Amino acid sequence: MVAPGVLALAATTTFPLLYLVWQSLQNINLAMPGMDRYVGLENYVRMWDDARFWAALGFTIVYAASTVLLQLVLGLGMALLILRIPRAQWAFRIAAILPIVIAPVVAGLFWRSLMLTPDFGVVDFASKALGLGSHNWLGDPALARVSVIAIHTWQWTPFVFLYMLAALAALPSELYEAARIDRASAWRRFVHITLPLIRPAIVVVVILRMTVALSAFAAIYAATGGGPGTATEILNLYAYRVSFAELSLGYGASAAVVLLAMTMAVAAVLFGLRRSS
Amino acid sequence: MKIVKSGSRSSPSRRKFLKAGVAVAGAPWISRFAHAQGAADLGAYQSAKINWRLAEGQTVNVAVIPASYFDNLIAVTPEFEALTGIKVRYDKVPPGQIRQKVVLDMSSKTANISTHAGDPMYIPLYAANKWADELEPYLNDSKLTDKSWFRHEDIFEAWRKADMVSGKTYAIPYNGEMTIQTYRKDLYDAKGLKPAETLDDIVKNAKALHDPANRMWGFCLRGMPGAGQNMYIYPSILLGFGGKWFDSGGRIKVNSPEALAALEWYVNTNNTYAPQAAQNWNWPDIADAFAQGTIGCYIDGHSAVSVIANPERSKVMGKIGFARWPRGPKGQCASSIWNWAMPINSALPEKARQATWLFIQWAASEETQARTSYRFKGPGKRFDLNRLSMWKQPEYLKTMESAGHNFVPASIDSLTRDTNVDWRPRVPQWPAIGETMAKIIQATLVGQMKPRQALDDAQAQVERIMKGG
Amino acid sequence: MRKRTFQNAILIGCGAILLALWTIPIAWAVLTSLKDEKEVLAYPPTVIFEATLKNFHAVLFGPTNIVANLTSSVIIALAATALTIVIAVPAAYAFARLRLRAKRPLGFYVLATQLVPPIGLIIPYFLILNRIGWMDSYKGLVLVYMTFSLPFAIWLLVSYFEDIPREMEEAALLDRASRWQAFWHVVLPQVRGAIAVTVIFVFLNAWNEFLFAVVLGGANVKPVTVSMYNYINTEQTQWAQLAAAALIAMLPVIVLGLLAQKHIVSGLTAGAVKGVGRR
Repeated sequence: MVAPGVLALAATTTFPLLYLVWQSLQNINLAMPGMDRYVGLENYVRMWDDARFWAALGFTIVYAASTVLLQLVLGLGMALLILRIPRAQWAFRIAAILPIVIAPVVAGLFWRSLMLTPDFGVVDFASKALGLGSHNWLGDPALARVSVIAIHTWQWTPFVFLYMLAALAALPSELYEAARIDRASAWRRFVHITLPLIRPAIVVVVILRMTVALSAFAAIYAATGGGPGTATEILNLYAYRVSFAELSLGYGASAAVVLLAMTMAVAAVLFGLRRSS
Repeated sequence: MKIVKSGSRSSPSRRKFLKAGVAVAGAPWISRFAHAQGAADLGAYQSAKINWRLAEGQTVNVAVIPASYFDNLIAVTPEFEALTGIKVRYDKVPPGQIRQKVVLDMSSKTANISTHAGDPMYIPLYAANKWADELEPYLNDSKLTDKSWFRHEDIFEAWRKADMVSGKTYAIPYNGEMTIQTYRKDLYDAKGLKPAETLDDIVKNAKALHDPANRMWGFCLRGMPGAGQNMYIYPSILLGFGGKWFDSGGRIKVNSPEALAALEWYVNTNNTYAPQAAQNWNWPDIADAFAQGTIGCYIDGHSAVSVIANPERSKVMGKIGFARWPRGPKGQCASSIWNWAMPINSALPEKARQATWLFIQWAASEETQARTSYRFKGPGKRFDLNRLSMWKQPEYLKTMESAGHNFVPASIDSLTRDTNVDWRPRVPQWPAIGETMAKIIQATLVGQMKPRQALDDAQAQVERIMKGG
Repeated sequence: MRKRTFQNAILIGCGAILLALWTIPIAWAVLTSLKDEKEVLAYPPTVIFEATLKNFHAVLFGPTNIVANLTSSVIIALAATALTIVIAVPAAYAFARLRLRAKRPLGFYVLATQLVPPIGLIIPYFLILNRIGWMDSYKGLVLVYMTFSLPFAIWLLVSYFEDIPREMEEAALLDRASRWQAFWHVVLPQVRGAIAVTVIFVFLNAWNEFLFAVVLGGANVKPVTVSMYNYINTEQTQWAQLAAAALIAMLPVIVLGLLAQKHIVSGLTAGAVKGVGRR
């Protein structure tokens, strides 16, 4: 039953992969067709010296790590919280579905123009009202980075929340009874009982969120386009720009290959964590 | 809403049900063509001495951007289909993706898109790769074109030139835009200000009106990075300062002293007088802000009229004035030469190419331009026509009355006197160069880089691009 | 006791803040969709205003309405989801029951291949679809979406299948049921929750996808994500209509989510704690 399915799958996913790697070994520039030729690893060598590439790589790591961490902390925290107020659960579960189902491209757009525009947006208005002043949320490089991380976190934390909620709800309550009798504090209960039990769930959700964060595109594209300058240009976006805006397909492909290698490495590490539980 | 479907001689209840069903299912198509001119008068077209039906049965696929001026064309397309027997299908692609989509299609020779709304800065790219046909053979072939009817030379010269490479035409302009100064006439009059004639005037006027505490910013230019975004405005300033894109050896040079002066002016003026948000703003954002009454003056495309002079969106109706780009310190003045031009995809088979040519000829003809503009049976009449003669016609002038003070003269002046075809370097590598410049301009605007260093950086990148890296 | 109530009050307070953070932007989108275009950009932003339904009307019935796009999206998402489930469920089951050493690395490879960044996939897929003549067609786009959703679905389902002790099927087989019957009547009901979760994710991903839809679609296939983006047209952004369109586009997924909610919770519960860790 499985053989033809997996084979077809491997075929459809392997061909693009091979094509991508092959492309990364070429110099393909649509603007100057006469210069297309095989260049071996030259693109990669060029990347080594390309400051913009390293900046993109660095920011990709920062972006993915921070948003996944934030999502985990906030999502888990919320789940723990809501378990204590069972009556409000339904409200949270419904509210949690909403950000997840918005198309990321629309989310990025809305946040950019209606929420975060200094002097014109709702968030800016609120921050002024709270006495925090107006800031250039998307125009200041450092703030822009924070903003795009915030947008991604806003959209996906509810997912972690729902997942953790289900995981926590499945835990047998006898364990807690036993711990309470032993008069263990809430924190100790959490660290020594709950956490180990939900560790597999945490790993799964981290894998899911990490892969999405590493390949985030639509929301950042809509919110800042990779700007200001190149401040929020994650590797995915850099590869897109190089390929399509600068028409240098070979170089763009090599950036994509690096991103892929990185994603696979991270996934491999996380998979390893799963097995050891 | 007219229901076109008929012919069911069935019971009233069944007819009602069908009607409802068609109304729901057919709503998108029918309402879209509700503005069509009915069983149109095709006489104006048939007066052309060509056989419109010579490519009967073909299908033409047109990729356009979402815009009211294309919506109008889509609405009158049934007339073309009736005239020629050619089927037309439209694909609306967001402006941020259309260039990539058509480049992908043309470079892989997959011939999915027969013609599209083309960016004239990409024409050199098309020409270098032979992706688009040269159009002189079509224009000169009497079986395909009635020259005296089509009058290609009637189309704005600047736009025609922008769509040519080495004297050969590659695309026909459907519509276009000029960049003009837009200001709050009421505020200027109150303070006795005149529309700026020089860049220094701009700063003076901005200063007089600038009052951020009361949500009035004196002046605004685009900051959003992109070859078609902030790099739409910067070249005009560069030329205003007497700068050039090419040095004496014909190489592209972006870090000349004039370029530095221009960049510094751009950055300083925007950072002093524009809202902080403008660093990320594109023209619709500026138009929105102006329509809300928060900007004193800005310079951008005239198509913003559909926002700022739209009673549904604008709080400043009747308070707008227009003028030309101000001159730079060297006395020069250069406006953009933007137009959406339609090329023919050279990967198509011959009959399909002829069909595509007929479509392009029809879309750019005076008759169709009129039918999508002042003779359009719906709101949102086009005002960005491609022929100078039409801009002078009384019917057109009447439609544009509500736009604002001096709109038509300023636009015509801008287009006929201030345009410079080489306002941006017309090389096949433009997309990459444009993006590079756009990024460093914005980086300078937000203070990530200093102007001198930014331009030198850009120069290094441009040199690499020109070498084929 | 007072400490308890105080603690609860803090909890409720935190909960309320978090709830607000998540719903306010959505609520703002709802408000925007009910406003006049002029009102949308008013500053200070208005909460009380004259609400109007004309944006929804324009989005559904106007000249640039999205009904055709919604239909397009529904077809694509339903087809992609149905086909994915039909193929993935048996495949995941078979995969789970295989006793192969190469299982784990193979499983990882299958998942890893879908980590290829979209930019790397656009051109090859574009070329392939053109070569087989499936460009700008439903079957073409559904095929492309399935290359993303199949590995994901299989990966997600395998762990749930592995959870089910083989003894259950053995028992059924001893009762002279065929392998297929064992699968259908004994195993499948156990993984209902997991399938529900998978359905939601596959549908959601297909529904909200943008990049491939733009490049590989065209005059025929125009999902709602592309048409929504077109409210940001070249002259202006029609914010109120964009908000209305976005909200309408969210509805099918929300409905699906609410319907499958029961199954999701039970599904996630079963696999989350025990099963997933087993591999």
